[in-house]
Amino acid sequence: MDAVASAPAAEQARAIRFTGSWREYLPIAATNALLIVFTLGIYRFWATARQRRYLWSRTHFIDDQLEWTGTGKEMFFGFLIVIAVLAPFFLFFQFVFPALAARGQIEAAGGILFLFYIALIYLGGFARFRALRYRLSRTWWHGIRGGSNNPGWNYGGEYLGRIFLAAITMWIAWPWMAVRLWNSRWNAMTFGPLEFRANVEADGLKARWALIYAAFIFFIVGVMVAAGTMAAFGAGQSDPARMSPSIGIAVFAIFLLFYLAIPLATLHWYAKYFRQAADTTSLGELEFGFDATTLQWLGLFLGNLALAVVTLGFGLTYWGYRNWAFMVRHLHVYGAMTLPS
Amino acid sequence: MSAPSEAVFDGRLYDGVTAHPHAVRAAVKDRTLELTNDSGWIERVEASALKRMDSTGHELRLGRTDSPGWRLVLPAGVEPELAWLLGQHERYGRWIDRIGLVPALAVGAIITAAVVAGGYIAPAWIAPHVPMSWERNVGGAMVGVFGSLRCRDAKGQRALEALVDRVAPGATRGPDAIKVAALDVPTFNAAALPGGYIVVFKPAITETDSDALAGVVAHEVAHVRRRHVTEALIRELGIGALIRLFAGDLGANAEQLVSLSYTRANEAQADTDAIQMLRRAQISPRPIAALFRRLGKESPAFSAEFLQSHPLTDKRAANFEAAFDPRATYQPALSRAQADALFGICGKPDKHA
Repeated sequence: MDAVASAPAAEQARAIRFTGSWREYLPIAATNALLIVFTLGIYRFWATARQRRYLWSRTHFIDDQLEWTGTGKEMFFGFLIVIAVLAPFFLFFQFVFPALAARGQIEAAGGILFLFYIALIYLGGFARFRALRYRLSRTWWHGIRGGSNNPGWNYGGEYLGRIFLAAITMWIAWPWMAVRLWNSRWNAMTFGPLEFRANVEADGLKARWALIYAAFIFFIVGVMVAAGTMAAFGAGQSDPARMSPSIGIAVFAIFLLFYLAIPLATLHWYAKYFRQAADTTSLGELEFGFDATTLQWLGLFLGNLALAVVTLGFGLTYWGYRNWAFMVRHLHVYGAMTLPS
Repeated sequence: MSAPSEAVFDGRLYDGVTAHPHAVRAAVKDRTLELTNDSGWIERVEASALKRMDSTGHELRLGRTDSPGWRLVLPAGVEPELAWLLGQHERYGRWIDRIGLVPALAVGAIITAAVVAGGYIAPAWIAPHVPMSWERNVGGAMVGVFGSLRCRDAKGQRALEALVDRVAPGATRGPDAIKVAALDVPTFNAAALPGGYIVVFKPAITETDSDALAGVVAHEVAHVRRRHVTEALIRELGIGALIRLFAGDLGANAEQLVSLSYTRANEAQADTDAIQMLRRAQISPRPIAALFRRLGKESPAFSAEFLQSHPLTDKRAANFEAAFDPRATYQPALSRAQADALFGICGKPDKHA
């Protein structure tokens, strides 16, 4: 008895699909850019709301579109709250800490600084949780929406604890920490009467994390070796003209490692992490899947970069569009949905 | 006569509580929307409670202001029929929609330009109102920073103060006294610092005669008196500078303060003031004009620092030269004894000017 127009058969195969086009989005992107510039940036919250309203409305799930009901006004007020919360931190770092240090009370200054860092990390975790909760609570489908009953204070504490654990293991423990944080976040979220369930594990992520770690260690060792050899040449009698090409190659290799290899290795890890997280997350009887590979992620980033460069900056307004379309196109939803009537 | 109230549309309703779609028929009766289905259920919604939601264009989605999840989905073709009921669609934001996109952009452009212009002009307006006492807090710290470089010969210091007094009588006394110091730094430069401090570097003393130095000092005194230093501080450090001045700790290092730069208007005004001061003190402006011409030709290493903060043009030399009055009786800025004492303020110099 539905009055819904039926979509083309090929598209019908996917439960969640993106039906927008960049041509359709162009007027929104262009007017957003103009208004942001001419309001000294204040409009960006309303611009985000307009962008999400478009993107959500072009995201089709089973038989109906999603809907974004967040407003620019509430995001602007959220921004003001963040400024108010962070102001004491800023004032401390800019004025109080240097003044204390100048008066010789370096222990007191250091102690307070440490407490501020702890507080900042806690707030970061809290903010992450609340951001997810906000986005779910302004996303509607079939007249129901997502959200969480959990205010997120506990998550902030867990986040702080896991960062600490990772830090004292020199970040070797990070994969375990990251998956537990994912689980904590999503297990607290709901959509309509259904609950999200997540139980990602670190198995399968350890090898890729080790790769990043190894690349980083190579980098550190390389820097030390290069510094050592250059110092040796200062003191030794080797012919500098003959040696400098190999030093040059070494330095080049080190920079390549740092600016290319480590980021690529991190992306490689993240691609698997996200696939694995989606595979082990469910909503009621719905199961999720994500199929983007490292190369596809790389394509997204490089494409964004190229777009921004070629359009002399205007392409930046399309990053949100491209990122959302990417996520939806690689997301799979399986199973059935039984909603109590 | 076709009346909108006779049209009936097939639609889909979500009640906002369960997620089940309900097939309904919608009809407009007066200013209410009446929804019915086959089993006799009826719901009436006032036009004032209805609002239009974003949609793909294939359909019209309506919501209710009093029920967050309530959605009525109708085919797109009905939009003209119901438009009168629903009012305008919010496109950019309430305020911008009210006045229109282009007027809003125009207003925004004007405001943006005003803010940017204000940021440029504001320091000049604010500077005269900053109490000198705030700056004096900072000045003390500055002298401390320069402490080890300070040339402390007593006779030389008195001669230096006498030079300041010569171009600006009474300047070295009183609560807003100008405090002048010579620093043993090998670059040619002189600078005005917050709090009424003027520092002169060693080559400015040993590589010039005291009449030319009088011109340089007069120029710096003018910067202090006209609050150009405060203005430059606000312009370069921002509003934070005001807060820090008040708190007594600038946090800027000595390098930054010595190289504060002034606007061209500031520099021109300081030159004009200096010419006046030299005239009143009956000191010839020719030596300083000659100094500017000489500095313009010197090697960059020697005068780069000075030129950076005091852009030299031939015009400046010409202005001072033009101020020379052949009928005036000029006196030397300092007596022979004072000039000798000043020359030795930083100890035995390498060469005599």
